Amino acid sequence: MNTSTHTALEQEVAQLVIDTLNLEDLQATDIPPQQPLFGDGLGLDSVDALELGLALQKRYDIRIASDDKDARRHFATVASLAAFVASQKAACAN
Amino acid sequence: MTAFRLEDWRAWAPGLETADDWRAWAQSPHTMPDNAQAQPSCAFLPALQRRRLSRLARMTLETAWPLCGDDEQLPFVFGSHHGETPQTLALLSDIVDGQPLSPTRFGLSVHNAIAGQWSILRGQRGESSAIAGEADTFEHAVVEGLLQLAAGVPAVLVVVAEELPPTAYAPWIADVPFSYAVALRLGKPDMNMDPSAHGNWQLRLDRADDHAPCAWPHALDFLRALLARDSSLQHTWKSRRWNWRRTR
Repeated sequence: MNTSTHTALEQEVAQLVIDTLNLEDLQATDIPPQQPLFGDGLGLDSVDALELGLALQKRYDIRIASDDKDARRHFATVASLAAFVASQKAACAN
Repeated sequence: MTAFRLEDWRAWAPGLETADDWRAWAQSPHTMPDNAQAQPSCAFLPALQRRRLSRLARMTLETAWPLCGDDEQLPFVFGSHHGETPQTLALLSDIVDGQPLSPTRFGLSVHNAIAGQWSILRGQRGESSAIAGEADTFEHAVVEGLLQLAAGVPAVLVVVAEELPPTAYAPWIADVPFSYAVALRLGKPDMNMDPSAHGNWQLRLDRADDHAPCAWPHALDFLRALLARDSSLQHTWKSRRWNWRRTR
């Protein structure tokens, strides 16, 4: 499996990360879907997590409770964020 | 102590980036077009470190950066009359619209945020001050820097930065013709210095009887006088007359 290829939703999420956090020199393809977004990966921090949570809310109408124990897992990578967005979209559609 | 040596300076405004640009401007000062978009690149920082820098922060860092050596610790004075008016308006607009506030914008919405970013990005652990005054914020910031010199440090950085306010503020803000930042590195007077350098200066405050506002923001007018090699200048605001004199 080639982990550096983005699905359409992963591409969209990666672009959302870049636009939201003003990562001006990066393109969506520069953030591999499996690269950790925080810490030693891309290098984002807790304020970025808050900013991203807000962007997801505005863009996809997804609300993440501040005590959601799964939030850390959802925010791990572009791939996990995209999967989370997809699952929330599916939940809303049902 | 009101005497100091101007060791070095940098300045930025839209269309005015190099020392030669500023020398040309000083010959015939004029209002620069400011579309509120043009901003310094701060190319010395990786993108990840630039991501939270506002336009005003970029202007401050771009001008201050080369004035501090890699292994130096210098007190830092940030002066701005109006601060980050575009950020303030964005936050207030979100509140009016019932939108959640950006954590980044909110976290950086204090007057000393830029001084804090300077401290973090340059590893500066010493004194820093953030000042908001009236039209003579520039002089008050320099006085703050002179107090640091008097306390015994060899040099201090003073940056005065203003951003062209959004049009919503136009009825109340008339003293920012265009965005600008002026950074000065001040040191103790040196009577042996090369007279062709930026010079030793004295700053004295007198009482003014007449109110005669300067045509340009004081920091820009000081730069104009510096580059035109004027030997003195006066800036009056309300009852305060600031007398600048080049002593050598």
